[in-house]
Amino acid sequence: MTGIAIAETAGIEFGQLVREHQSMVFSLAWHFLHDRESAEEVAQEVFLSLHKHLGEIQTPSHAGFWLKRVTVQRSIDEARKRQRRPKIALESVPEPAARSAPRDPLLSEVLRRLIATLAEAPRSVMILRYQEDLDPSEIAEVLDMPVGTVKSHLQRSLALLREKLERRGVGEY
Amino acid sequence: MDWLEQELKQAMARKDPSPDFAVRVEARVRQKPSERPTVLEMPRRRVFVMPRWVAAAAAVVVIAGSAEGYRWHRGLEAKRQVMEAMRLTSEKLNHIQARVNEARK
Repeated sequence: MTGIAIAETAGIEFGQLVREHQSMVFSLAWHFLHDRESAEEVAQEVFLSLHKHLGEIQTPSHAGFWLKRVTVQRSIDEARKRQRRPKIALESVPEPAARSAPRDPLLSEVLRRLIATLAEAPRSVMILRYQEDLDPSEIAEVLDMPVGTVKSHLQRSLALLREKLERRGVGEY
Repeated sequence: MDWLEQELKQAMARKDPSPDFAVRVEARVRQKPSERPTVLEMPRRRVFVMPRWVAAAAAVVVIAGSAEGYRWHRGLEAKRQVMEAMRLTSEKLNHIQARVNEARK
């Protein structure tokens, strides 16, 4: 019995997994690489890899966990391969105008770019925390990292972002 | 959750890939493996990695072997030349001996 047949017996259908998780996988890669084309390529390769390993996937939730882990790993590999971290230097991120209203699209772009300037580990932690809404213990499991390290990355990254934004006159409204 | 975390959640919200993303993935899955582009196909592990020291050691062995072979070849050539010189000398001595013998007669 092939891996695909085993997975289908367990109620896991590949096409369904792609449709269900494509946004999550693409967004993880996109937030990591900050490049749409590369993110789509990484996402496609992640799903091709999933297809090869479908026999190892036990449940649909296991598939989600597997996809998160492999997407982060592939994104790191891709970023290292291209040696272009970050694409935008921290200093070149445009200064946002002082916030006049919540949900400022310019501020969102600035935040995405600031996150793209973080080192690999804190960047992965921040993306999983705020894109996937994972708590520190879940992030630790996906990244195979101690929970304390995850919390430390979160605190330091938030402090850094807060400092950068407040220096530019963007603060709590 | 403070204002910054709320903004981060908004900024990091999921985005959709191209509308035909799933179709393209399924098309690539249906392709034969040999037809697939291999850009990011496998984790970048090389099946066989020759350590540099092995290559360097192999080069040293080849060079040393070549030098030894050359020395052996030079030795054989010298031996051949000595033998040829001795043969010529012997011929000459034989020739002189024959002349001496003729003179005595």
